[in-house]
Amino acid sequence: MRRPRLSLREQPLPGGQPLAFGTGLLIALIVGILLLLAAGHEPLKIYSRMFEASLGDPDAWAKTINRAIPLGLAGLAVAIAGSMGLWNIGAEGQIMAGAIAAAWVARIGGDWPGIILIAMMLIAAVGGGGVLALGPALARAKLGVNEIITTLMLNEVAIRLVQWLIHGPWKDPDSYNFPLAPMLPDQARLPTLFSRAHFGLLIAAAVIVIASVAVRYTAWGYELRIAGSSEATARYSGISLSKKILTVLVLSGAVAGLAGGVELSGTADRLTETISNGFGFAGIIVAALALMRPSGVAVVALLFGAVQIGGQSIQTLGVSSSVSTILQAFVLFGAIGAGVFSRYRVVLDADTRSSNKELSDD
Amino acid sequence: MTEASLIGLFVATVSFGALLYLAALGELLAEKAGVLNLGVEGMMAIGAVTAFIVGVEFKNPWAALLVAMLSGAILASVHGFFTVGLGAEQVVSGLSLTILGLGLAAYLGKDYVGLPPGAELVPVEWAGFSDLPWVGPIFFNQAPIVYLALLMGIAVSFVLSSTRLGLALRAAGESASSTDSAGHSVLGLRLSAVAAGGALAGASGAYLTLSITPQWAEGLTAGRGWIAVALVIFGAWRPGRVGIGALIFGGTLALKTRLQPFGVDFSPIILSMLPYVLTLAILLIISIQARKRPSPAPFGLGLPYRREER
Repeated sequence: MRRPRLSLREQPLPGGQPLAFGTGLLIALIVGILLLLAAGHEPLKIYSRMFEASLGDPDAWAKTINRAIPLGLAGLAVAIAGSMGLWNIGAEGQIMAGAIAAAWVARIGGDWPGIILIAMMLIAAVGGGGVLALGPALARAKLGVNEIITTLMLNEVAIRLVQWLIHGPWKDPDSYNFPLAPMLPDQARLPTLFSRAHFGLLIAAAVIVIASVAVRYTAWGYELRIAGSSEATARYSGISLSKKILTVLVLSGAVAGLAGGVELSGTADRLTETISNGFGFAGIIVAALALMRPSGVAVVALLFGAVQIGGQSIQTLGVSSSVSTILQAFVLFGAIGAGVFSRYRVVLDADTRSSNKELSDD
Repeated sequence: MTEASLIGLFVATVSFGALLYLAALGELLAEKAGVLNLGVEGMMAIGAVTAFIVGVEFKNPWAALLVAMLSGAILASVHGFFTVGLGAEQVVSGLSLTILGLGLAAYLGKDYVGLPPGAELVPVEWAGFSDLPWVGPIFFNQAPIVYLALLMGIAVSFVLSSTRLGLALRAAGESASSTDSAGHSVLGLRLSAVAAGGALAGASGAYLTLSITPQWAEGLTAGRGWIAVALVIFGAWRPGRVGIGALIFGGTLALKTRLQPFGVDFSPIILSMLPYVLTLAILLIISIQARKRPSPAPFGLGLPYRREER
């Protein structure tokens, strides 16, 4: 019997990752067409609406950019940890911790001048995210506790912390007993650049550039990538793994926290339990599609932002916004599949025995 | 604190415990075979929505449960295909599965939001036993899925510890290459474990819409899939301990809406953090103990297996 088997290519296909990404996108679009047809919609009409609403004019671009900012920062957070082979699944919670810290500063600094207030809010957000990541970082660095589960668990703790705050101590007395935090003071809001695109774009871009350079071109980043590819090599070359793990995970949390602060100050009126809106989880997909490279995160985040904004816009056409959620998952699954085929080729084995013989060829 | 409200609390504890136990058993199966599946939340959602839809359309709760388990298994197989078949990152694929499952559930259930249920699995009367004080209502008057969860717990425990299949499955999770050398198909074992896990998560979701809150709404699963993931660690990958953990965590879910009658002035939101905080504590304890004895986690958990790379 001839069985299909994956065999490593000597050279990955040229242009592998962009190609895989494009293929994933294509697969997602095809799946989307099928879903829309099944629900009795006209796919072309829906897609052109999605495109118009997300990239059609400057206002649309502004919406997409505002969405890409938290996605890009969350993706960067995951990618920073990922360049060292660590998984920060807690960006969702760290975003909320950052938003809580920023909201707290806005509460006490309501009468500070805008620029100082915003700066303090963002610094606090960085701290908030870092603090939430500190526990998992210490546990991983000192005790070897797997950071996937610890960061994942803290997501659930952080969202409940936000819920508790807005149901309890931070509930707005003027909210007619609705669980709402008070509105942010006006000077706590980030200025806009064009249309409604806010200043967070420059902050996110700057952080992404700095992180990309740091990971790609500095000795620190080099050590990081070595530690990511082989712990043993890192140890032999005298890199202190536990210190590295600690800094990288805390930095990762800090960047996610910044995303929360920027989101609060840039687009939200107040602290809400949907302040993160799944950005942390989407950020993991963004980072994975960017192959954990900080430099690739921005492009993927823009695309995901466009898909999300486009997905919201088609609700007015009677299409469930869940279509865009499904599309996002399929972009990733499509890209994973395509990525595998860019590195492996399918060979048909006559039987299992011959595949063992072939081992030496691979 | 009245007797009735205390009994009500325990009834709900067992009920929520069974809900969590089913999903956690599924995750345990997959992890024992070496595959971390963070898609539990998505699989539960798919199980919940398909069970509800089949209930409304065909009025048969058992068919609904079956379809839910099948849908959970199919969704899980997507994860299986990418991680086991293609060697993709389990974390990323699992999280995407959660996103996919929640999206699909919302898409499928759009026209069913707020509809009355077409079929329900109502509590079983056990002649004689159900009328016993305390134990009657708590243990002998639960929905059938609760007993299914118990049966599944015993079955999973038995298969894993006392059958060749279970041995091969655990071996696939501990050391894939030696399992392969021994003539077992690592691919087949892992794929089946993941699919079976998905079926259990689907059943757990079905329990939500067929018994606990017989309605469909987006976000119905409310993060309980993550508790199931936590439970596997809390129970140190052992079906029995996971069951005890399920009762404890189920208790916190039950308490959440029932604090008032006990005159406790304590935020239910803070209480709902408990499962996660407990799991974190257990993780720390496990890892501190791990210096003296080996960690209970399957050794090959999260590692893809390709024969040519061994």
